[in-house]
Amino acid sequence: MGISCQRLIKSFGEPPTVIIKGIDLNIEDGDFVSISGRSGSGKSTLLYLLSTLDLPSSGSVMIDGQSPAELSVDALHQFRNESLGFVFQFHYLLPELTALENALLPARKNNNVDAKTHVNALFELFDIQTARDKLPSQLSGGEQQRVAIVRALSMKPRYLFADEPTGNLDSVNSKIVMDILKKANKEWGMTLILVTHEPDYAAMAEKEIFLKDGVIVNTAS
Amino acid sequence: MFFLAIRHLLSRKRQTALIFLGISMGTMMFAIISGLQLGMREFVVDRLLSNTAHIRISARDQSVDKDEMTRRFYPQGEMISWLSPPSGKREEAHILYPQGWFDRLREDPEVVAYSPTLNMSVIISKADTRHPAVLVGVVPALYEKVLDISQYIQQGSLDVLKNSGNRVIVGNLLLESLGARLGDTIMVSSGQAELRPLKIAGVLSLSVEDVDKTLMIASLNDVQQLNKTPGQINEISVALVDINLAQAMAGAWALVSRDKVESWEEVNASFLQIFVFQDIVRITVTTAILVVAAFGIYNVLSIIVNQKRREIAILRSIGYPPSMILQLFLIQGVMLGFSGALFGLLVGFGLNLYIETIELNVHIGSGNTLIISFAPSIYIMGFAMAFFSAILASLLPALAASRLTPIDIIRSEI
Ligand SMILES: Nc1ncnc2c1ncn2[C@@H]1O[C@H](COP(=O)(O)OP(=O)(O)OP(=O)(O)O)[C@@H](O)[C@H]1O
Ligand SMILES: [Mg+2]
Repeated sequence: MGISCQRLIKSFGEPPTVIIKGIDLNIEDGDFVSISGRSGSGKSTLLYLLSTLDLPSSGSVMIDGQSPAELSVDALHQFRNESLGFVFQFHYLLPELTALENALLPARKNNNVDAKTHVNALFELFDIQTARDKLPSQLSGGEQQRVAIVRALSMKPRYLFADEPTGNLDSVNSKIVMDILKKANKEWGMTLILVTHEPDYAAMAEKEIFLKDGVIVNTAS
Repeated sequence: MFFLAIRHLLSRKRQTALIFLGISMGTMMFAIISGLQLGMREFVVDRLLSNTAHIRISARDQSVDKDEMTRRFYPQGEMISWLSPPSGKREEAHILYPQGWFDRLREDPEVVAYSPTLNMSVIISKADTRHPAVLVGVVPALYEKVLDISQYIQQGSLDVLKNSGNRVIVGNLLLESLGARLGDTIMVSSGQAELRPLKIAGVLSLSVEDVDKTLMIASLNDVQQLNKTPGQINEISVALVDINLAQAMAGAWALVSRDKVESWEEVNASFLQIFVFQDIVRITVTTAILVVAAFGIYNVLSIIVNQKRREIAILRSIGYPPSMILQLFLIQGVMLGFSGALFGLLVGFGLNLYIETIELNVHIGSGNTLIISFAPSIYIMGFAMAFFSAILASLLPALAASRLTPIDIIRSEI
């Protein structure tokens, strides 16, 4: 069913500054889409609109066949819990929980015990088994971001949103993270929407979106 | 959200401990102050009730009334102005129709017992000294059913008054000031010329100074003879099944009688006034402590909510709805309130147990230790106060946390 939007407009403030200026977009299930553009061009804003975190000023977003604006608060959060995964530039791990507890936080909402094996496998796959019982403060930046990605993947979401996930990492760690994201898309069939500054990473996508002042200037496939 | 709430609390142990102690302090103080005050109060009320009936029916003075005199002497309604208005008492106050009361009291299912008495002021002469006293004439069998007097009789027993034999039971302090002993005979006068010899056949002590210094109990017959009013009584003491009904029943009876009908609360109104004042002090002190503790909860939780903004954002993005964010912070306040209140009450309870054993240089009742109340109501009330102020104090920060939107937080972080 994918994600689609029509005449998407988002403005902030009073008098309103229009940041997203009427975007139409169609993303199929299993797609890998990159969004790039200059700082301030509206990349993050578009990502939040597509991923239910924010609501448009006008226009519509459909994700997985439903409109986030029309879902009840609880249904919306349940949808995020089951079907969406987020990776941000900052990892946002909870400092008082161990890496494993952090990664299991989405599963904990509905006492999903099956997630544990899956999460353990991901820790192994991403080569961070030794980090499992450590607190975030005891981990390196790269390890922290990998734990955050395990958290995003823990519920086997259908859609994965990443906002400059490598923005804070060195090139080695950036490559590790990108490999994981590509694997999630190619091998596990997750729809991946990636906001990035890096032309190399943007070019890995099947569909590249360039934003300029809130409009799509070029979509390469 | 319990799991996370506990982790939050544990991650800031010192703040948690401080708030916990603040709340504990509040409930502990409440338990101790209340225990002392209510203990003393139970003691005093118990003593009051040992010489006050639940309801007291007493005779009204038959005073001379100016308007009534005017009507009697000038029935035509002339305009009269008295230079010196008539005043004074017409006769000794007594209950006019005791049998009517007895019949009513016997039939009332709420009445356990009643006891007619004749109370009079007397003067005791011993050698060259004179002592004022209050002589109460009782029917022992009825009297002891209304007032639990026998436990306060130190020597002798109420039975000695059974047959009129000019015997008397005397308050211990009165006995002391008379310099008399059990078995002595004292001369008692109603104030008129006649002296009547009464034999001291018992000693009582209520540990209430005013009473022990003046009270004498004799048989009703003897007192009626001394007073030269055979068959008269001026008071009926009534014991009820439910002491809490006293006020209402006294009110109802007063409507249908010329006699004065008072509940024990009315008789002891000035005492009970002190209790009200004590209550105010106790509640105020405790409230002050709890307000400080609640303010602590409010402050710390507000700070935590602010520090945890990014975590709130991530929780929302992984599917925790605002209601669960609210829970996360509310649970922290509730746990602090619950455990702090419980701990404080336990410590208060323990300290009360200890205080109860401290021996003092004063006599309180039969012992020399403070009397402490362990009434469950103290603990229930203390707990409720602390618990609800903790909930109230955490509600505002928790609501604020639940209203944060993930997007605003994420944006303000970058
Ligand atoms: N809540 C807001 N209120 C006002 N202006 C906002 C708000 N959110 C975003 N903007 C503005 O919208 C514009 C686009 O922001 P956005 O974060 O989408 O850019 P971006 O392309 O992600 O940039 P970067 O590469 O720096 O992350 C910016 O000029 C920003 O100042
Ligand atoms: Mg951005």
